[in-house]
Amino acid sequence: MKWLFETLVGRTVIVLLLGIMTVQGASLWYYEATLNNETVLASEKQLADRIISIYRAVLHAPERDRDGVTHDLAGGVIEAHWGRQPNAIADPKVMSTWNGLRERLIALNAEFANDALIVGVDRLDTTSHLASISMRLGDGSWVNVDLVPSHGQHVRSDSAILSTSLMALGVVIVTILLIRWLTRPLETFERAARTLYASTDRAPVPEQGPREIRTLARAFNEMQARIRRLVSARTQALAAVSHDLKTPLTRLRMRLDEVGHAETRNAIATDLAEMESMIDATLSYLRGDRSDEEMRPVDLVAILGTISDDAQDAGAEASLQSPRSIVVRGRHLALKRALSNIVQNAIKYGGRAGIVARAEHDKARVTVEDDGPGIPEEDMDAMFEPFTRVDRSRNRDTGGFGLGLTIASEIVQAHGGTITLENRAEGGLRVTVLLPREPD
Amino acid sequence: MSEPHILLVDDDGEIRRLVTKFLRESGFRVTPVRDGREMRETLKSTSVDLIVLDLMLPGISGLELCRELRAESAIPIVMLTARGDDLDRVLGLEFGADDYISKPFNTRELAARIRAVLRRTSAQGETRLDPSWRFTFDGWVLDTRRRELVNDQGVVVDLSTGEYDLLLSFVEAPQRVLSRDHLLDAARNRVSSVFDRSIDVQVSRLRRKLSGDNAPDMIKTVRGLGYLFVPEVAKA
Repeated sequence: MKWLFETLVGRTVIVLLLGIMTVQGASLWYYEATLNNETVLASEKQLADRIISIYRAVLHAPERDRDGVTHDLAGGVIEAHWGRQPNAIADPKVMSTWNGLRERLIALNAEFANDALIVGVDRLDTTSHLASISMRLGDGSWVNVDLVPSHGQHVRSDSAILSTSLMALGVVIVTILLIRWLTRPLETFERAARTLYASTDRAPVPEQGPREIRTLARAFNEMQARIRRLVSARTQALAAVSHDLKTPLTRLRMRLDEVGHAETRNAIATDLAEMESMIDATLSYLRGDRSDEEMRPVDLVAILGTISDDAQDAGAEASLQSPRSIVVRGRHLALKRALSNIVQNAIKYGGRAGIVARAEHDKARVTVEDDGPGIPEEDMDAMFEPFTRVDRSRNRDTGGFGLGLTIASEIVQAHGGTITLENRAEGGLRVTVLLPREPD
Repeated sequence: MSEPHILLVDDDGEIRRLVTKFLRESGFRVTPVRDGREMRETLKSTSVDLIVLDLMLPGISGLELCRELRAESAIPIVMLTARGDDLDRVLGLEFGADDYISKPFNTRELAARIRAVLRRTSAQGETRLDPSWRFTFDGWVLDTRRRELVNDQGVVVDLSTGEYDLLLSFVEAPQRVLSRDHLLDAARNRVSSVFDRSIDVQVSRLRRKLSGDNAPDMIKTVRGLGYLFVPEVAKA
């Protein structure tokens, strides 16, 4: 039901149906109103003639036959009686409704102009009659005529309703097709807008279709080009800065040998290494997963083995628990960077990386657990944003740009996988990476 | 053997000065030049054992120079790349460089790589003009341009720097007993900071990565002597 009000098709159908119903209702009303009017006019004349003929027949009949004559002549909408008293009591409202009839009767018999004619309600039964008319005869007796409502006066035309419904159905179908046709270009816009960042050099929206859509497409393409220029200008500026820093860093590193004091030399070397890793992280974040590496079968366990061995060699506590091999389709170096970032984070912030890899039906599951303080629940989502760092250890020495998880998450997502964070019940953080794989 | 003569091509004056100073201290004869034009001038008049070439040069780029050099000589080339970009590395090697090192680099690492390249190229001797960069054994492929190992199922198997250096030593000398000292030297030449680990640990890690289903070990331990790489190796 919500669909009706939310989509263009739904709204158009509603408006058109309301329009059809209004037009149809109005014309039906007008038709019936004029029809009623004509019926009334025609029947007034008929009624007047019949009433007068009853009156005249009674007038000429002997007194004992009068009641019988009235009964014989009555029928249809007319009930007639003869009596000594008038049945009708004058009633202004009834009189005004039936004024046309009254005037006709007076025109047919001038005697009625006096008080020989009463138009009003039946004094015995005021409700079931439309009107009650009493006419005085020459001897002072009365002919009483009651007008009763006839049934089936309005013949509802079923065929009119059917034709209206068919028309409405036709309009609905045509509307749906029309709006679908008109809004198809909008779906192209939607796709283009969604994939604006996914690929920087995608083809713009085709400028075709009705003029309004063409204009919109042109405006959209211009906007897309502006955004792309803006993003690429900033990206290039950042990349250039990061890149140009490498030459002075290289010089610094070489000058290190000229520093005599061993402690100072080591401290500078550590700082340099940190700056280098920040620059590498920035550049690889800016490059994103746009590297030209091809998707190939890659052994996840070999990658995790290298990462874990290297960490152990560097003196960190790292362990790997896995089957002999898990093959996924992916970009080798990108996957290695993603998994390495996760493991390095665990070691840096959590003191230990417990890596477990498992092949599930159509997924490879890699979990990395640490013994750190975990991450407050409210900061979980922010962890994947670039340049955000939750200072888990309250230690400024941990360094980094807060790009590690961002890069990892972008790479994993580009592989059609997911990455999730959770605090372990025993304490520490658990990072879970799921990557799609061919079922065995 | 006299001091190897190194031609250093880099446009950054300070880097030229520092690298020259360090390489001289490490026992090389060094001629520093600024760009491709000066490089050509020097090559006309002097004989050079190895060229250290910066990728980003004013005028003609390092890649162009590399291709140009390769067209006429087999002189060993070590590329200096500023980006840690894997594509650049592969490109450099495709264009005929023998090795690459990315900025910011460690001078000790540069010296070690230069020695490794000199050792390798002199061993290859006259076949230098058609250098091999793919070693195949038991359906596995070691691609030295991409520094990549692919198994008999076509699956990329990741190697650490140490494991790669070790495997390269094995495939260059298959079915020969290699002593621990030889392997350690080879690896040191090729530079790996983590090579303080005993060779035995490295070999056992490499074995694990090379082990296939029910396949016999490719690396055999020869008690008291060292290790032997069992499969036949083809170069392509």
